[in-house]
Amino acid sequence: MSSPITTTAVAAAPAAHRAPARRLSAASWLAIVFFAGALLFGAVALALGDVFYLRLATEALIFGGLALSVDLLLGRVGLLPLGQALFFGLGAYVSALVLKHWTDSIWLALAVALVFSALAGLVGGLIAIRSKGVYFALISFGLAQVVSKLIYNTRELGASDGIIGVPAAAMAPGLGSGTPQVFFLLVLGLIGAFYLALRYLMDTPMGRQLDAIRINEHRVAFLGVDAWRYKLGAFVAAACIAGVSGALYPMLRGFVSPELMFFQVSGHAVINVIVGGTGTLIGPLYGSAILTGLRSVVGSFTAHHHIVIGVLFVVVVILMPRGLIGYATPVLQRWLDRRHHSAGDRT
Amino acid sequence: MTPILSVQSLSVQFGALRAVNDVSFEARQGAITAVIGPNGAGKSSLFNLISGAIRPTAGSVRFDGVDVTAQPPHRLLASGLSRSFQITNLFFDLSVRENLRLAAQFLEQGRGLLRPVRHSATARRRVDELLEQFDLGGKADDLAGYLSHGEQRRLEIAVSLASRPRMLLLDEPTQGMSHSDTHETEALIRRLSRDHGLTILLVEHDVELVMNLSDHVVVMHQGQKLAEGRPAEVRANAAVQTAYFGEKT
Repeated sequence: MSSPITTTAVAAAPAAHRAPARRLSAASWLAIVFFAGALLFGAVALALGDVFYLRLATEALIFGGLALSVDLLLGRVGLLPLGQALFFGLGAYVSALVLKHWTDSIWLALAVALVFSALAGLVGGLIAIRSKGVYFALISFGLAQVVSKLIYNTRELGASDGIIGVPAAAMAPGLGSGTPQVFFLLVLGLIGAFYLALRYLMDTPMGRQLDAIRINEHRVAFLGVDAWRYKLGAFVAAACIAGVSGALYPMLRGFVSPELMFFQVSGHAVINVIVGGTGTLIGPLYGSAILTGLRSVVGSFTAHHHIVIGVLFVVVVILMPRGLIGYATPVLQRWLDRRHHSAGDRT
Repeated sequence: MTPILSVQSLSVQFGALRAVNDVSFEARQGAITAVIGPNGAGKSSLFNLISGAIRPTAGSVRFDGVDVTAQPPHRLLASGLSRSFQITNLFFDLSVRENLRLAAQFLEQGRGLLRPVRHSATARRRVDELLEQFDLGGKADDLAGYLSHGEQRRLEIAVSLASRPRMLLLDEPTQGMSHSDTHETEALIRRLSRDHGLTILLVEHDVELVMNLSDHVVVMHQGQKLAEGRPAEVRANAAVQTAYFGEKT
């Protein structure tokens, strides 16, 4: 699996020597367009008094967080997590319980969910990280199956009904998830922070080491690196991102159910990543936005929306094996470089 | 001179096959020690035992006075023992510079791991040094996968040296090389030993190269040590003549 980022890093290296001022890369532009577009969407929704699409967009961002965590593992470390919804669902349940029985503070609910996800990620990682390839994918899948069935059969957690009637949560008195516009901004800010943190991490020696592990894990040991510790660290980080994203879900929808941990959710996350662009980090957010939107819009016309999504998935994988953003990034980068050069010629 | 590496009664068995059988030898600090032997003599297994790639069934390896038997490779590297690979084992999708930077990153451990790589000055200096020393400066931004075979072999050794190890294990460094590349590699190994005081243990197929280069030669045959000594002594050894050189005529 080759990463588009590594190729842009190679391409960017000589440019950095030429230009003392660092120009924005194509990847940065695509990220700016995404977040600016989201803000614009929120403003338009506010102006039109729309709530339905705003809440749909919020949901897309929340599932974007899950996709981001899948991309960290799949696109960087080269591990395919087929059960990443496990951590998403755990975060959602913890958050729902905290909000229902303890406090209405968004921050406390997120913090407790974060701690739980980190611990669950550590346990899950210790079990799953020892294996690679298909075996890792199946262990990840199996762990999610086991935990979701356990919850499905636990009456104290609402069994198959889940937990309903989760009250609105507050960031500050009077300001909270009950106001869709405010909550949209909070989710956008959190997902944006995850994205920026991951992008920063990927440019540090630690992040580059993850790339090295994906490309040639056998060799990194002979460069003095204990790959297992890096993989475990990435697994825990991915669990935390998935868990905190999941913790936002009951704040939006007011309920959680065991279905949040089912394979459908994990599978959608992987599809969002692949359609958006594996390893690009921003791609999975685009993928989530586009596919969540399509599922809802197409779903309102026909019950057979899975067919449409399935066909789209196949077409994208065949025509753009690196996904939408994996395809767009080098194209945009070449265009930016050309423009920069011709601007340089004129001066 | 003191031995920096000491191999004691090392054995490994794969099923019924005793690939390495009770082999002991020492490598002196600053010297070039070579292990030779015909195909299937157990050279590569011995090499993999020393470098931590496989676990021995018996025996021990001591490096710099410390027992390092069956230690994982990343620990061995941390104690100053590095290895290169016979089949070039690089990050082919990454640039030459990034290959070296990843290897030189070891020098930054602890401190700079969470700052952007463009700030890691120590690693960058080491990379520039290696690019110059291994004559890869012109290819720094090419992908490692696009280099010629000879260049890849050079990069392979450069990557193994990036962490400034005290001892380097070279697995058939001239494997598959042209005549002129072999000569270049020979000169390079000599330079590393003479100018940088690097202790080298190499496993080689090419008897001529070994005889020219080494201070000490260990001859393997059917998993056992057949003889050891200076190149001239080994060449004169009757058992070696029949087992090894005898085959060639």
